[in-house]
Amino acid sequence: MSYVFDPSNWEWLITGNNFRYILEGFLINLEIAVIAMVFSLIVGLVLALLRLVRNPVVAFVAGLWVDLFRNLPLIFLILYMALALPNSWRDAWEENVPGWAPEAYQSGFVFAALVALVLYNSAVIAEIMRAGILSLPRGQSEAALALGLSYRQSMQQVILPQGLRRMVPATVSQLITLNKDTTLVSIIAITEVMRRGRIVTSSNFFTDVQAPVLHVFLFIGLLFVVVNYSLSRLSRRLEAGQQERSGTKMEAIGGLEDQLQTAEAR
Amino acid sequence: MPGLALISFLQDHWDAYVSGFSVTVRLVLISFAIAMAVGTLIAALRVAPSPGLNRLGGIYVETFRNVPLLVLLFISFAGLRRAGVDINAWTAGSASLGLYTGAYVAEALRSGVFSVGKGQIEASLSLGMSYRKTLRHIVLPQAFRTVISPLGSLMIAMIKNSAIIGVSLLALGDLLKEARIVVSNTFQTDEAFFWAAVGYLLLTGLATLLVRGLERRYAIRR
Repeated sequence: MSYVFDPSNWEWLITGNNFRYILEGFLINLEIAVIAMVFSLIVGLVLALLRLVRNPVVAFVAGLWVDLFRNLPLIFLILYMALALPNSWRDAWEENVPGWAPEAYQSGFVFAALVALVLYNSAVIAEIMRAGILSLPRGQSEAALALGLSYRQSMQQVILPQGLRRMVPATVSQLITLNKDTTLVSIIAITEVMRRGRIVTSSNFFTDVQAPVLHVFLFIGLLFVVVNYSLSRLSRRLEAGQQERSGTKMEAIGGLEDQLQTAEAR
Repeated sequence: MPGLALISFLQDHWDAYVSGFSVTVRLVLISFAIAMAVGTLIAALRVAPSPGLNRLGGIYVETFRNVPLLVLLFISFAGLRRAGVDINAWTAGSASLGLYTGAYVAEALRSGVFSVGKGQIEASLSLGMSYRKTLRHIVLPQAFRTVISPLGSLMIAMIKNSAIIGVSLLALGDLLKEARIVVSNTFQTDEAFFWAAVGYLLLTGLATLLVRGLERRYAIRR
């Protein structure tokens, strides 16, 4: 314990620009998470709708796709994409990344990482969205059809607005998981916060101040806890606010570390 | 025939895959045992009739649920080793995965206990059953049913998360790690990763079937 709290072991935080360096790395993680989330939501919605299409072949193939990518480890996908994507794609990324983007994005591996993150998370999101849509009572779509709305209209104006609202909590918890998962891209040599942490621990040639591995990663862990905890608090507050405004208790779809939590389980 | 080439590739590297597979299975089983033990303890803290204990359990859950597993692995292996604690890869890996998942297990168990209606507990207490008997005969059997599905989901998440351990800790040859060694020996990325994927899908598929079977067996019929 005294080793952990010994102030001389924490001195690295205020030495040089270590603090800023780590913080900037952490921002890169958050940015990667947000970019991956935006694309995952779009792809996820398409996958969820394909899975609910009345054509059984399309629905089956979409279901197979979702189950495949949902059940593989994310780190497996990241490593595979880093090795298997054609070099020309990576080169194309490196050439087209604007010069002002942070150094971490200059590496073509960022593209591979994003592909893997979106493949995996869109499958999870698709499942969340499908559960949100299926959780609506059948009467809703039947009523819409009886009123003369087409399939498309009933989806757009009746089913999706209600179903997607129910998936907000699960999506936020998936964003938290995604946030944590961005640390995995350090394994394919993208200089986000984990890499930067390792660089800080090994770069005490110029100063006498040692940056112990334990303390650096405790600090990085703290950053994640603060941001992710705030996110989950925010989502709980939004949920409560919505309930107050609409006067109904929304039956939400919960998330659990990449897995769905069904209503009866909560 | 690409199929035949795949099969002969598996035959050539059979030993590597089998050893990686068994390491992954053992890692998941040990970690799951740790997660269940820790999760039960934390869930007990969170439903205990003491605000101090509740808060302690809450802090545990919020910390371990919000921190990346990779950070835990770095702290428990590289961090502690540098600090002079002689910890081996198996201990660090299974403890990290176990403590991490334990937070989720605690939440699942807690919501399972709360899913049993308050009226039932009051009814059983007013019928003269002791608190212990109420817990044993009324609360736990029902809580167990609602908890099967989330625990199954956590098992699947754990199988997938176990792949992170082999990648970050050098001394542990789990399935993904072995596949990467095969890649570096043969340069046949697709074949090597294909069989690792089969291994992981086999495990997650088995876990899914197991959970479905248990759910069907203990489902509440209405």
